[in-house]
Amino acid sequence: MSNPTNNKIRIVTAASLFDGHDAAINIMRRILQSKGAEVIHLGHDRSAQEIVECAIEEDVQGIAITSYQGGHMEFFKYIKDLLDESGCGHIKIFGGGGGTILPQEAEQLHQYGITKIYSPDDGRKMGLEGMIEEVIRHCDFSHLSSPENWTDALPLGEKKDIRKIARAITLAEREESYSSLLRPVKSSGRTDIPVIGITGTGGAGKSSVTDEIVRRYLGYFANKTIAVISVDPSKKKTGGALLGDRIRMNSIPGPRVYMRSLATREDNTAISKVAKDAIAICKAAGYDCIILETAGVGQSDMSIVDYCDVSVYIMTPEYGAASQLEKINMLDYADIIAINKFDKAGAEDALNDVRKQYRRNHLLFTAPNEELPVTGICANTFNDKRVNHFFGLLLQKIKEKTGVVWDEALANSSHNEGGRQDAIVIPPRRVRYLSEISDSVRAYNARVDEQSHIASQLYQLNGAIQLLKTLPENEKHH
Amino acid sequence: MQSILQKQYESLENKLSPEAKQLLEGWKELQKKYESDFFEYTVRGKVIKQEMHTLSLSGTKIPKVALPAYKEWGDIVRWQMQENVPGSFPYTAGVFELKRQGEDPTRMFAGEGGPERTNKRFHYVSADQPAKRLSTAFDSVTLYGQDPAYRPDIYGKIGNAGVSIATVDDAKKLYSGFDLCDPATSVSMTINGPAPVMLAFFMNAAIDQQCEKWIEENKLWHEAEKVRKKKYKHQPPPVYYNPSSPERLPEGNKGLGLKLLGLSGDEVLPPDIYKKIKSEALQQVRGTVQADILKEDQAQNTCIFSTEFALKLMGDVQAFFIDNKVRNFYSVSISGYHIAEAGANPVTQLAFTLANGFTYVEYYLSRGMHIDDFAPNLSFFFSNGMDPEYSVIGRVARRIWAKAIKYMYQGSERSQKLKYHIQTSGRSLHAQEIDFNDIRTTLQALYAIYDNCNSLHTNAYDEAITTPTEESVRRAMAIQLIINRELGSAKTENFIQGSFAVEALTDLVEKAVLTEFDRISDRGGVLGAMERMYQRNKIQEESLHYESLKHSGQLPVVGVNTFLSKKGSPTLVPDEVIRSTTEEKEQQIENVKAFWKRNEEKSAEKLDALKKAAGNNENLFEILMDTVKYCSLGQITHALFEVGGQYRRNM
Repeated sequence: MSNPTNNKIRIVTAASLFDGHDAAINIMRRILQSKGAEVIHLGHDRSAQEIVECAIEEDVQGIAITSYQGGHMEFFKYIKDLLDESGCGHIKIFGGGGGTILPQEAEQLHQYGITKIYSPDDGRKMGLEGMIEEVIRHCDFSHLSSPENWTDALPLGEKKDIRKIARAITLAEREESYSSLLRPVKSSGRTDIPVIGITGTGGAGKSSVTDEIVRRYLGYFANKTIAVISVDPSKKKTGGALLGDRIRMNSIPGPRVYMRSLATREDNTAISKVAKDAIAICKAAGYDCIILETAGVGQSDMSIVDYCDVSVYIMTPEYGAASQLEKINMLDYADIIAINKFDKAGAEDALNDVRKQYRRNHLLFTAPNEELPVTGICANTFNDKRVNHFFGLLLQKIKEKTGVVWDEALANSSHNEGGRQDAIVIPPRRVRYLSEISDSVRAYNARVDEQSHIASQLYQLNGAIQLLKTLPENEKHH
Repeated sequence: MQSILQKQYESLENKLSPEAKQLLEGWKELQKKYESDFFEYTVRGKVIKQEMHTLSLSGTKIPKVALPAYKEWGDIVRWQMQENVPGSFPYTAGVFELKRQGEDPTRMFAGEGGPERTNKRFHYVSADQPAKRLSTAFDSVTLYGQDPAYRPDIYGKIGNAGVSIATVDDAKKLYSGFDLCDPATSVSMTINGPAPVMLAFFMNAAIDQQCEKWIEENKLWHEAEKVRKKKYKHQPPPVYYNPSSPERLPEGNKGLGLKLLGLSGDEVLPPDIYKKIKSEALQQVRGTVQADILKEDQAQNTCIFSTEFALKLMGDVQAFFIDNKVRNFYSVSISGYHIAEAGANPVTQLAFTLANGFTYVEYYLSRGMHIDDFAPNLSFFFSNGMDPEYSVIGRVARRIWAKAIKYMYQGSERSQKLKYHIQTSGRSLHAQEIDFNDIRTTLQALYAIYDNCNSLHTNAYDEAITTPTEESVRRAMAIQLIINRELGSAKTENFIQGSFAVEALTDLVEKAVLTEFDRISDRGGVLGAMERMYQRNKIQEESLHYESLKHSGQLPVVGVNTFLSKKGSPTLVPDEVIRSTTEEKEQQIENVKAFWKRNEEKSAEKLDALKKAAGNNENLFEILMDTVKYCSLGQITHALFEVGGQYRRNM
């Protein structure tokens, strides 16, 4: 076990742009987590700008990247340049690329300011654990003093000073005052900033849905900004956390979006207590809309309702028996219930069951289906018609609950009918095709055995018959 | 007694299926057919006559296909139902009666720098081959559907580990000098996420080559020149220029495909003529585009759109193929290679790949296509490593495919025939004692040829540490030539048939694959299993198993963990790696910029049409065939991102 660190360590992990080799970085990030780090994992194929923007918004001490696809010299140097230009040169860069990065190239990168490029030889000498412990030691520094480097120019062409917002949240996490940072970020006292809460069971696709909301929001409202606060649980045993929501997000990079991943740390709740501060900070920074996404905690947690104006509950058709629905508190509290993965078998039944439960909970026994805020969606379908509809419903609820209207027409969900629907690849009734194939091949093989056996017997009989024919007449009757 | 036996015989005979009866009755004739000196069979209506024997130096008549000497009827029935001669159901020994003459399975992979450099390499590797079988590796910028750019994180990857292709003009240069509609030319393109766009580039290049030939025949170049002059009045036309050999076209390239560079056939020809040429070209082109998005999501990660949308695009390509009678082009190469390279063992490779193949079948059927309209456009691609199962990977694949297509999907004989490409295992090559790598590749190539693969790439020995050179590629080709032309046993096209071990192994692997099918099925089929990351996790576990055995020495690797040299067989680090030059990179960037500029007027409108079609669920490949005349790869990718978003990564 390594020594506990003096500072809470946050690290961004990724594989480089146009590079699908994600096995190594996945192993690294697991070890980082086990050593107590909070890891924001971006996965493969990430551009330098995306990684740097993430590092700044997440206020990390380090970035760890693998690059196996060539172009590493340019890639690592560019990351260093972008960090320096943004006044964030304090963020350390680590890299690896097996044999694709030649020793003399690694040396050049070290001289350029990359903290460490790990070679296969380092791996053999130090072992994976040893390498990660070294990364953690390098990152164990207090980075709270860096604002001195921050000029008035906004980094990376962002609409707001993401550095200050990020740092303010870090200070809030440490229960320190952040007012000195926030003062320059003018608090407008606006009351027109809706907070959308998104919650739901683990694996229901909360981040995917959040991503689809953000994508449509940016597409429809060309000048609006949005902030996303996402909360994931910390591991009690190690103190580490996998902050894995960003990997599912494609719409986050860009000047109009701020995203921050929070670990619950010592709290035992689904929502880190810093979430309240984080929302306040994003409001003060003037984002036009805020999404709070919380860890999947199943049936009981509805504390999210206290934090937001409009709450959305995401579930899948796979919840078990209809009676399970009676236990879900969010069916009482959520403003919208979305059943994701609607291409799954049994989706229509699920929609019916949830509607039924919703009617009971809200004593709306006669309301027509279309008036219930229960809808099926497929967040993983290209331009899904149902998600388009859901987005309209969300705008409608925002209007109802906060009075905020960004676009009158869109907030009327029935107008939003474009998109693709039921893009089903394998029809549910065909889903057992592979077993049918196995059975069909096995049946053929059994037929071969049977037919071959019959043919053998025929051969033997034929042989005997032919033999009998050759025997003298009297011997045939013995 | 005799009558009892006779009675028994008759009652049993009734239980013999008509199929088995026919096999028994036809056996003698089959034997006779294979004993004769010549063999006649038909391919696409053409009768082909081939000699059935080769003569060795000793004067021995070596049969091309040898039949078992079985007499017992049970053996004869079983052999024909499970093995049979090449070209007969269940095609265990091969899907064709005999190998094509004048065409080795050799297909060499190339791709580096800009299209001109790769074009030169293509002409080099196919120089002495009567059949031009090219295989294209694209750089990672292209594989992810983007255009070359000065932005440093893109810049460094242009033209490295593959060729940079961003426009239809790049594609025209890349394959210039090869007649893409000649039946002896076949082109393979290893690209997946943006495959439909690249395919549209290729198809346009092929069509425009035929337009060139038509203009030539009708002596109408002066007309075409007028159009060119007008179009390029204010800007320079695109040119073929290889910075590393600027003096001329490479040897073998006579310039076909370059005369309409920067022009589309429909800009210079009357619409009816263009339409006719296009229709004929589409029916003639021969090749393969990988386009296998399922294995990308399972193993290799070059996805750019959601899997669902990528599948829709594949279906659109296939539907276009059916409508336009594109019969000689494979719309997908269902690939196990990358699954194996990511660490899967051969059984898993085969099971996952076949399962993916059947998933495409189910998807295309669900779109209303007929099995016999699309199954012949499917092809497969496997890795051959050192494991014993690799000796029968083609046999098992063909046998399972044929049985399933015949009995479950009621497909025709043509649909039942699984054709596949083999690449020797890159993962089995090592950075220590790299000279030994050619030995591994030779053995793997032998597995492949004995197993009757339809197409074969042999890796160069230095691939473990660097980009192959002309010298190392030449050695890799020699491996195939030596097996095909020197090795006497390879003259027999079913050399491994009848081996007890091969038959036993075939049964074992078939059984294991079916069991794996059931496991995937229990997880909701291929797509359901993918959602749970089943395939990824299994591949990873098997990779770790291999690594740990290699590390402990339980799995001997000569020159790596055993039989080390006096110096300990150190890992070789190259002094220098061949990378694309600054000039090549900048040329590609400037070319795409010029392309954008000269198509400025049309591209916005074309992209809008594409986006609208994507929103309306129309056949997008149909549209892409036109879009690519005016828009670059990156422009098209981004337009589609706008409508439907990007691939969402998993963890």
